[in-house]
Amino acid sequence: MNAKKLTQLAMLTGIALIIFVLELQIPNPFPIPGIKLGLANIITVYAVYHYRPREVMIVVFARIFLAALFSGNMMALAYSFTGSMLCLGGMLPLRKIIDENHLWIASVIGAVLHNIGQISVAILLTGAPGLIAYLPFLLVSGCFAGAFTGVCAQIITERVRYHFVQNSVPEQTVRK
Amino acid sequence: MVAALIVCFVSCSHQDSEEIAGEANAGFFAMNTYISMTAYGDQADSVLEEAESRMKELEALWSVTEENSDIYAVNHSNGSPVTVSDETAEILSFALEMAAETNGALDPTIYPLVSAWGFTTEEHHIPSDDKIQEMLSLVGYEKIRLDENQVQLPPNMMLDLGALGKGYAGDTVIQLLKDRGILSALVDLGGNIQTIGMRPDGMPWRLGLQDPFGGENLGVLSVSDCAVVTSGNYENYFIGEDGKTYGHIIDPVTGYPVESDLASVTVIAAEGKLCDALSTSLFVMGQDRAVNFWRQRQDFEMILVTSTGEISVTEGIADQFSPADNEEVDVIYR
Amino acid sequence: MKKNQLWLGVCVVILCLGILGGLWVMRVQSDPSVRIVQNGAVLYRFDLSSAEDQTFTVEYEGRSNIIQIEDGAIRVLEADCPDQTCVHMGWLDSAAPIVCLPNRLVIEFDNASDETDAVIE
Repeated sequence: MNAKKLTQLAMLTGIALIIFVLELQIPNPFPIPGIKLGLANIITVYAVYHYRPREVMIVVFARIFLAALFSGNMMALAYSFTGSMLCLGGMLPLRKIIDENHLWIASVIGAVLHNIGQISVAILLTGAPGLIAYLPFLLVSGCFAGAFTGVCAQIITERVRYHFVQNSVPEQTVRK
Repeated sequence: MVAALIVCFVSCSHQDSEEIAGEANAGFFAMNTYISMTAYGDQADSVLEEAESRMKELEALWSVTEENSDIYAVNHSNGSPVTVSDETAEILSFALEMAAETNGALDPTIYPLVSAWGFTTEEHHIPSDDKIQEMLSLVGYEKIRLDENQVQLPPNMMLDLGALGKGYAGDTVIQLLKDRGILSALVDLGGNIQTIGMRPDGMPWRLGLQDPFGGENLGVLSVSDCAVVTSGNYENYFIGEDGKTYGHIIDPVTGYPVESDLASVTVIAAEGKLCDALSTSLFVMGQDRAVNFWRQRQDFEMILVTSTGEISVTEGIADQFSPADNEEVDVIYR
Repeated sequence: MKKNQLWLGVCVVILCLGILGGLWVMRVQSDPSVRIVQNGAVLYRFDLSSAEDQTFTVEYEGRSNIIQIEDGAIRVLEADCPDQTCVHMGWLDSAAPIVCLPNRLVIEFDNASDETDAVIE
């Protein structure tokens, strides 16, 4: 990997981290475990559509690890790691199916998968399958949060394309 | 007309609550668990109050951690003989008897070993082989000297009657209730169930059997006038750094948590102390030895759940157990 | 184009399932049997219709949750955890359990136990 790429990935990670920390300041009105906006995923969705899978994983996992470290909550790693694995597991293949102009749809699927991952970990750790009762709420919040972050990522994509056409061409050209 | 109103009023207030006449309930924390008692009869309320104090008295005598308990005194006696109360002498005598009958599968001196694994403080860890050998030298019910009310234990050995305490205390309470004329009662000592007679509507008590693999009940056991206790590693275990599961039931011979082919053992007998003693020892023994043991005795029935989820029931209570979802249940014959 | 529409459809289906599921879970329940589970082990069972008003503490790794039973309802009164989600959940009244994820604690209704007088564990 060249220095330029590394710098880009580092910047993305950094931005995602900042967004994450800022989002922590927003109080959560819903007493449902796992409900959050997940704004840092704007970066994740953007990365999925503009970088290679390996590079996306670096950005995502570096951010998760650092975020857990910074917020002093290492336990959260189990949840965010599993959530992100499922999320990427869904979005990376979807990138080939859903085109760049509709990436917000992939974002919704990613968010839903992320939440499914998180509730699965919760059930495993507490040993209470009854927690599955929260799945419907997490599906709904996944749809809305995913749509929101997806649209943001969409807008950013269009802006970047407009200003920096050459630099944003992905190494894997879009196949028909 | 006034008479009619009064009759209405009286019958309405009877219909309102789900309580049947003479139902009394009590619930309190003791012996490291939540105890809930239901009794039917005259004065059931005050009888339950008496039962509650009696349980707390026994807890004070047998607690390993309470500084004033008989057990604490014995565990800190450094080898000298200690005089204990009648109740403690009795339960200890029973413990020794059961230890002998189960060939050491039940051992009241296993506390230092259980401690080494961290089950007493919830700080679980895997002790080294050396540590385990060291602890094993402190285990051995034959080393206890019991002479009337005098107990003598070699230095550094420790007694814990936790495996029997709930059952024994339960029996004491049941006897108390019976002495006071109670004909129908159910006592739930954190999952150890003891009953007197049947439900007030004449049907046997319906007890759900916990699935050791989590989730809903395995089935329903209908009983009357007996005690039922279950043991299994699923109640308290941890996953070590090596990924293996370590349960809280330790084998007194190897010093390691029992790796049984059983997930849970449920014992049904007339007395709680027998149920308590047997459920743990049968778990340690494993399926084959447990079945042999049952064949040699007439005083209990059991339900075994293997680690692969198969359920077997001894023929004496096969009719009283109805599995959930009509699962297949093997019957163990004499 | 078709593929996009397909996946959009998938999202809509997920949303609908979520809404319907949520409504179903939110139906108010008040079974008498509840159980308190921590780390996979059932700690306590209560029959709310006969349990006395009381508060008690449950601990995990040194952090505590104070649970309250009053007038046949149960909730987490206070909790030693960063998000306090469990406290904000209020009284248990539906199929959605009260959860304290950091302390691995779950309080839920136990419908299977309604048909039995007690559970052997």
